[in-house]
Amino acid sequence: MRNLKIVLFLFTAVLLASGCSSKQKNPAWVINEVMVLNEGSYMDDFGQRNGWIEIYNNTAKTQDLGGRYLTNDRNNPKKYPIPRGDVLTKIPPHQHALFWADDEPFNGTFHVNFKLDPTKENYIALYENDGKTLLDEIVIPAGMLADQTYGYPQDGIKLDEEGKNLATHLERVTPSSNNAILEENPKVVGLQETDSWGGMLTITSMLVVFSALIALYFFFKISGNVANRMSERKVAKSGTLSAARSHSHLSGEVLAAISAAIHEMKEDQHDIESTILTIQHVKRNYSPWNSKLQTLRKLPK
Amino acid sequence: MGLEQLLPAIAGMTWQHLVMIGIGLILIYLAIAKNYEPTLLLPMGFGAILVNIPLSSALTQIDPATGEAVEGVLNIFFDAGIATEIFPLLIFIAIGAMIDFAPLFRNPSLLLFGAAAQFGIFITMIFATLLGYDIREAASIGIIGAADGPTSIVVASRFAPNLLGPISVAAYSYMALVPIIQPPVIRLLTSRKERLIRMSSASHNNKKISKKALIAFPIVITVAAGIIAPSSLSLIGFLMFGNLIRECGVLNKLSQSAQNELSSLVTILLGITIASTMTADRFIRTDTLIIIALGLFAFIFDTFGGVIFAKFLNLFRKEGNKINPMIGACGISAFPMSARVIHQMGQKEDPYNYLLMPAISANVGGQIGSVVAGGIILTLVPLLA
Repeated sequence: MRNLKIVLFLFTAVLLASGCSSKQKNPAWVINEVMVLNEGSYMDDFGQRNGWIEIYNNTAKTQDLGGRYLTNDRNNPKKYPIPRGDVLTKIPPHQHALFWADDEPFNGTFHVNFKLDPTKENYIALYENDGKTLLDEIVIPAGMLADQTYGYPQDGIKLDEEGKNLATHLERVTPSSNNAILEENPKVVGLQETDSWGGMLTITSMLVVFSALIALYFFFKISGNVANRMSERKVAKSGTLSAARSHSHLSGEVLAAISAAIHEMKEDQHDIESTILTIQHVKRNYSPWNSKLQTLRKLPK
Repeated sequence: MGLEQLLPAIAGMTWQHLVMIGIGLILIYLAIAKNYEPTLLLPMGFGAILVNIPLSSALTQIDPATGEAVEGVLNIFFDAGIATEIFPLLIFIAIGAMIDFAPLFRNPSLLLFGAAAQFGIFITMIFATLLGYDIREAASIGIIGAADGPTSIVVASRFAPNLLGPISVAAYSYMALVPIIQPPVIRLLTSRKERLIRMSSASHNNKKISKKALIAFPIVITVAAGIIAPSSLSLIGFLMFGNLIRECGVLNKLSQSAQNELSSLVTILLGITIASTMTADRFIRTDTLIIIALGLFAFIFDTFGGVIFAKFLNLFRKEGNKINPMIGACGISAFPMSARVIHQMGQKEDPYNYLLMPAISANVGGQIGSVVAGGIILTLVPLLA
């Protein structure tokens, strides 16, 4: 019962969340820029100037336009079927394809079977392979001037945050390239002006190096302590010599010597030795008479 | 038939070529007689001779008969190994496999010297910019102060390929000259009393380091560096990859290969390939002298930064817990040369003062610091240029 309640709660939460995020998304394919009347602009491979339609792959994956439909007729979504099997219709992420509206479909994949008319409003739409699902549409207002394009100022951004359509007359004609050209990075320009000799850069860099190494310091400190504590606990549980060692923080050699001494004392196993154990430095004069080298018989070669 | 036809190399020889051959011989002398970084100075010295004999087929030459370019082997190596940054990055794997981060786990506070001793890089950058170098060139000159050959090569080949020759020669020569450069600077900045400070490292030396921590370290650093500065990942990532091979415990054979065979093979090629940039027309210029002088400036200010930072920390430390300021100078990347120099300096003042362990820790910190500094330069400088 409790589980059911949790599931219901989560379901409601998801529903509410999805309801709240009603923000419209930009489509995966966007009819990005359209030229209706081409008099002195871009020319096709046949040396002809015609209107054109630029389609933008608004996703991060390569998509194929083959099999989809382009149309300028609301009642005929399947007007121009984009041929399948042409490698050129595979559009890489955030790249463009340019279709010539020249009514010359036999000139190639990218030549559609309709023309655009500058005297009236032009409706252009891209349909999914089923010919029913609308992928994107745009309405070009009537009265477009020659060599003027209509589309979105930034590639693929059709709607603003409030869902308003951003289509407008574009300042620059950019067939098969980005509508917005980044000429300069304002941050870079600002930095060049305020910090032409790199003083701020130096301070920033030193601060970054320091903070990176301070972060590392904490990593070393914390991970070292945690790992030590964990291994100490593990050893302490085992009740071995290592346990005593990790408890006392004495080195292995010291503990071994103490243990050996205790063992000898307890078992009374101490030999009676003729020598004296000392930590003093003993100076011994060398004499060949007691040298083992001299007394041992050498092996025959 | 004149001399020109018989021995065109002699006919084409200029005094600049002779000077460069002389420089090559000096580098070979320093490598053999003084044992200064022989693994690099010797190939570089020999390479300098190789490329400064006119019409050397080791370099790309235009065939006078056909007018076609005949590619030289060193140019091929350069395009394949240095321009693509492959050689220095392979060296990074080898260095990673050689670095033991355990001393830093024992005494992590010494890591900070690895940051302080990068001061020379940035101050030299400013100085070079004031001298009129473009910010990219200035950054490449400043990076000599990283005291880290591969980092210098990566940065210079990306930002100022035209200065790669003098920069790498300066970086490796000064690394070799650490025993000569650092002591006078340290003596100038410290009193005898400070140099006699003993550092209680006994408790640190026995600290056991968990294997898990050593394995996690390269992975965590790579992820963290990747998030903070993705453009530094090629440097840090390769270093940490080498270290992971070392610490994982199951790739001993690879670790040994990286430390020995890989490092040796790439070093041979690296040295002689860098020499391909040491041609007379590129090298005999006032620029080169300025770069070499700026490199020395960078090294001196690295030492300055480290020592002054240690003295600064000592202001807040209690008596008996002070840091020997000489340790600060080990924050450069020249490993283990710098640590050894400081240890010896300490021993000269007091034969019972063992500074080797903390010095090694700071030196490992310096290796990390130099790579971080290189990564930051790679990230920030393009914003200015």
